[in-house]
Amino acid sequence: MSRPTITPADAVAEVSALGRRIAEGAKLFGEIRDADVQIATTPKDAIWSQDKVTLYRYRPLAPSKGLPPVLIVYGLIGRYTMADLQEDRSLVRNLLNLGLDLYVVDWGNPSRAERFVTIDDYVDGYLAECVNVIQGETGREKLNLLGICEGGVFTTCYAALYPEQINAMVLTITPIDFHADQVDNRPGHGFINLWMRSLSPEDIDRLIESQGSLPGAFMGSVFSMMTPMRTLTKYNVDLLDALADKKKFLNFLRMEKWIADRPDHPGEAAKQWLKDLYQDNKLVENRFQLSGRTVKLSDITCPVLNVFAKDDHIIPPATSRALGTKVGTQDYTELGLPGGHVGVFVGGKAQALLGSGIADWLERRG
Amino acid sequence: MDPMETMKAMGELWSRGARSFAEAQANMMGAMQTAAGPAPAPDFEAVRAAQTAYTKAWTDAQSVAASFTSSLGAQGDAKGDKDPVAAEVLAKVFDPRGWLSASSEIDAALSRFAEGPQFSDLFQIERKFAVLNTAWSALRRRNLEHNTLMLEAWTRATGVFSKAVNARTEAGQPLESARALMTLWIETANEVLVETQRSDAFLRSQRESLKAATDLRLAQADLAEFYSQMYGYPTRAELDDLHKTVTELRRDLRGLKRKAAASRAKETTP
Repeated sequence: MSRPTITPADAVAEVSALGRRIAEGAKLFGEIRDADVQIATTPKDAIWSQDKVTLYRYRPLAPSKGLPPVLIVYGLIGRYTMADLQEDRSLVRNLLNLGLDLYVVDWGNPSRAERFVTIDDYVDGYLAECVNVIQGETGREKLNLLGICEGGVFTTCYAALYPEQINAMVLTITPIDFHADQVDNRPGHGFINLWMRSLSPEDIDRLIESQGSLPGAFMGSVFSMMTPMRTLTKYNVDLLDALADKKKFLNFLRMEKWIADRPDHPGEAAKQWLKDLYQDNKLVENRFQLSGRTVKLSDITCPVLNVFAKDDHIIPPATSRALGTKVGTQDYTELGLPGGHVGVFVGGKAQALLGSGIADWLERRG
Repeated sequence: MDPMETMKAMGELWSRGARSFAEAQANMMGAMQTAAGPAPAPDFEAVRAAQTAYTKAWTDAQSVAASFTSSLGAQGDAKGDKDPVAAEVLAKVFDPRGWLSASSEIDAALSRFAEGPQFSDLFQIERKFAVLNTAWSALRRRNLEHNTLMLEAWTRATGVFSKAVNARTEAGQPLESARALMTLWIETANEVLVETQRSDAFLRSQRESLKAATDLRLAQADLAEFYSQMYGYPTRAELDDLHKTVTELRRDLRGLKRKAAASRAKETTP
């Protein structure tokens, strides 16, 4: 290999810049306290709970627009706090500031005791209870659902099973066709889809039998594996870059806090998620069964806004956009935003577009 | 000693050590098997083959890394202005150990699955112990095979990287900062690694590692079950059974409550 032509003067300049940054970073590290990196700080009140599930209602931040309430539903991989990561990058705050009445369901921290809890329980049990509570509290028969990732699959199933209760549904970064990663086949995108297809159903059964759950730490390592060099450089190169700016550094730490809070996915629900959906692709083929009923996407008759991230390596856009031809409504809108899976919620430009895009769309369907 | 010679010697030493360790294990297992009667035996030959392949891949990778570090650091050294922090970051980024730890983080997660009863607790139940040991050997073998695959990918990445640096130099656009050099390496390595991850060999290897980790975990659970029964403690199976019952009862209760609420609503509707 030929040697790079780095001149001594350049090297000295680069080194001294690096030295300055490290010195500043060390000072920053000393100043930061845990209280500076709080996440999900938007005020809210618990209004219902059952087992480990809690339903919260956010306190309003602006005069109400009088629209049907919105229930945010995150999945079981990661936590809903992503939607309220920090004050200036919060989907929750953006929606509240636009006058929406907002609820969020927190699935809690499932343990091995929840091994036998299924997606049927989450959708037809807990989610149905949450909807019922909100209906009672607001006196509204219909509400809006806002599903995120796996939570979007939950809301999709709910909207198909109980269309009469839903005014409109917003999906964000939600997989519908779990085999559509092969449409674009972009390198580095859709690895989980590919990997799951390389396993046999028995491999998954035995994994869950041995663990009792799909451990959050395991899923975390799968996500890290998808961006290999980013994982390797995260705590040296990226951290050094972040140290140049206190705001950037705090953002880095908040994201780390969210990443570290990854609950275990209940075992039986994980089997359905990985086998029925990732492997057998039952949802898009109208073969997915919940509580003895088949989820038919054509039964979704409410307006649908489907938001996807154009550079989503975890949920490739085609896996989300497959919904368009399957729903039973003409009022179907797609919104492709710049950035990746998480960037849609925390990226400077995308998160602003996301909040206003959702609020405007819902307002027109109030 | 010449750095290449040092590497070679280290590789041979490692090989010899691994061989002795495997042989010692084989001897011990032979004695264990005689005592325990027929039980699944670890495939030591396969572990040995995996160890040898891994050692070779590691030696090759270390040699390339040493050559890289020397090539990249030479200019700064000559002027006496080499920065230890920059050098450390560069070395870390190029170090194949870093590659292994990052790319096979999943292996570490799988290995954590395997944490359980200590070896010394198990001598009283030879047959179960033999099964456990077999599962452990299989996991070790799969991890070695997987790491070998990753080191081969690392070596491939260094080749692509060298070509890219040479091409830029020949085109009169040499890299002018350590940062640019590092960025090029990160981009190159990422591409090669992502390509590797999509290969059949990688997917097969990951699957085998996952299966081996699961088998080990289940073998441990079997032992734990045995001890729990022996000492009168609730077993995992009993607890699972209980959790299943509670989940089903909760499900039934939710259903009944909803039915009751629906019929109440029906009665009150004019």
